[in-house]
Amino acid sequence: MDLADGGHQQGKPRSEPTTPYLLVLPSAAYLVLFVFYPMVQAVLLSVTEPRTGTFTLEHLRRMVTDLHFWPALRYTVLITALAVPIQAALALAMALLINTRFPGHPYFLYVCAIPLAVSDLAAGLIWLSLFTERGYLNAILLRVGLLSSPFNFLSYESPGWLVGAIVATEVWRATAIVMVVLVAGLQLIPRDYAETAAVFGASAWRTLWHVTLPLLRSSLQTALIIRTVLAFQLFATVVTLSGRLVPVLAGETYFWYSLYRNPHVASAYATLVLLLSAAVTWVYLRTLRTPEEAA
Amino acid sequence: MFRTVILCLVGILVVAAAGLSAPAPEVLFTSNQLTPVEEQEWARNTLLAGFSRETGIGVRFITEPEGPYVDRLLAEARAGRGFIDVTGTLHGIFPVLVAERVVRDMSDVQRQLEARRDRTFYPDLLAVSRMEGIQAFVPWMQATYLIAARREALRHFPQGRNPMRMTYDDLLQWGQNIREATGERRLGFPVGPRGLYGRFLHGYAYPSFTGAQVKKFRSPEAVAMWQYLRRLWGVTHPSSFRYEFMHEPLLLGEVWVAWDHTARLLPALRQRPEEFVVLPSPAGPKGRSFLSVVVGLSLTRWSPNPDGAVRLVEYLTRPATQVLTLQGVGFFPVSAEAARVVPTGGLKVMADGVSAQAGAPDARTALLPVGLGARTGEFVPIYVDTFRQIAIEGRRIEDVLASQARRLEELYRATNAPCPPPDPAERPCKPD
Repeated sequence: MDLADGGHQQGKPRSEPTTPYLLVLPSAAYLVLFVFYPMVQAVLLSVTEPRTGTFTLEHLRRMVTDLHFWPALRYTVLITALAVPIQAALALAMALLINTRFPGHPYFLYVCAIPLAVSDLAAGLIWLSLFTERGYLNAILLRVGLLSSPFNFLSYESPGWLVGAIVATEVWRATAIVMVVLVAGLQLIPRDYAETAAVFGASAWRTLWHVTLPLLRSSLQTALIIRTVLAFQLFATVVTLSGRLVPVLAGETYFWYSLYRNPHVASAYATLVLLLSAAVTWVYLRTLRTPEEAA
Repeated sequence: MFRTVILCLVGILVVAAAGLSAPAPEVLFTSNQLTPVEEQEWARNTLLAGFSRETGIGVRFITEPEGPYVDRLLAEARAGRGFIDVTGTLHGIFPVLVAERVVRDMSDVQRQLEARRDRTFYPDLLAVSRMEGIQAFVPWMQATYLIAARREALRHFPQGRNPMRMTYDDLLQWGQNIREATGERRLGFPVGPRGLYGRFLHGYAYPSFTGAQVKKFRSPEAVAMWQYLRRLWGVTHPSSFRYEFMHEPLLLGEVWVAWDHTARLLPALRQRPEEFVVLPSPAGPKGRSFLSVVVGLSLTRWSPNPDGAVRLVEYLTRPATQVLTLQGVGFFPVSAEAARVVPTGGLKVMADGVSAQAGAPDARTALLPVGLGARTGEFVPIYVDTFRQIAIEGRRIEDVLASQARRLEELYRATNAPCPPPDPAERPCKPD
């Protein structure tokens, strides 16, 4: 839009329409080569019989009948359903706090964003060192006398604690990305809206609910899409904390490729993750649609 | 000035072009062994640096997990050309490499090495290196799996029993004694996703209880074994499901008695040799079965630098290098000459355990399965999934064994593979 308008002002409307295409060409080429092509190949691998090259549903059947499939699907959805709302709520609270511009808020922002720089594997290891029998958490609880002997948080006998540890790690690791998106979104909202609401005597809560949140909708949508899609790819933290006791879809993709050496079933898992991500994105786009006039 | 630059560039190009046609003074060596970062570093800076100093030939060493490792070789084989000169991997992976025409017959290299008369390869290792009518590899290193324990745990060993002659009942009793004395479960197994517990199931427990790895998969003896393993799991550390390298929980003190691969126990012994003992794996009703892991070296059919590659194989199998390898990463030598060197410290503790295991009167050697081709990776998960369903999820043993035996049978029927020793030689292998 902007580019076309700019072209019109310069009075060379005939030669300009190619410019936007040239500008998006590098990223389009990148997407086709490194995203679209591997995606198509993964889908093809998951339905191709390796010897004859013909169409088959055998790999999908093997995936669905595998011991770990249903638990993996269940746990992926469960962890996403627990972690994403907590992350969104926490991130919103942190973003609103930062937006009050309290003294020292830049430092608060930097400290909160530190986990962004930590890889998910490293995050898993950090939290593992907290939760093991000889970990920091047990050491502290023993020291202050809350426990008389170490408690095993990571035991196959207590899957609740295992899932709790995974969700805690995810919240710690990835809340910051949601927060950064929301802080950016909040800064785009002109102050006049809140001031006008104050003039009409709206409470802080009503201002948040009726003014800020509706205007934040598109940022919230972006943040939720990013987080949920990434949650479906959750892998390293889960494997570090729970081995394969809490299987997840992305983990099964990896195990089928690297342990079982079966790229076909691995691709079937990858395709499933792709479909789930696409479905969730579509739902977010539908339910959190920004009204035309606000765009 | 400009002209000088151009002349220099042309000069560089000419030299580079000449370099392309001359044999590259470099060997590309790939492996799926020595993957932990410390071992990679040791391989590059100590093991292979020695070779480069001696010969002036550089070695590029690429080590990665089995999946990408095999794929890289297969991709080059299918392209009909490539860069890999030498590859070193488990004896159980070679059937895939032979079937896909990745590796060449190593008989001539073997003859060259033997003509030097400084190394006598163990005959049983040479026997397993022959498959499909060729010698698929030259033996490089060997390893096994056994038990390492804290000395203080020996106080709880069943009274009147000998730890060096341990039975599976002793092991269970040991775990129970520790639990009664301390209230904690201190036995540990590497049940994590990249842990090697599956090897314990098919190579140790199954042959020791039933006399076979595959044949007796759902026999009454196997049912008794699974009942035993369920009780053993009850005295095993509840975090075992995420252990992958047992030296870690051993050093932390979470686990007092651990079963694992020699290389995965060694760091603990090395750090505190006086605190640990190494014991043979237990004996069951059908003897003391243990797995012998053989790692071999082979040249690819398309090796761009076959002379350098053969020299690398010669260097790696030389007795002095073999001793260096034992000291560096705890893989044991493949020739009698190298084995004569008596190690010290943690390695001595390990070597004593290994010879007690191999030399026990009731010892039975089991070998990794071969002949499953591209589906080799599916063998171990069948056993681990069986364990998960029986011990962790508590399903009925007979039902689980019946359904898992069908998977095992399908795998062997589809690949027409023989039973792995000590099972009777039968092709395709079929669980009774």
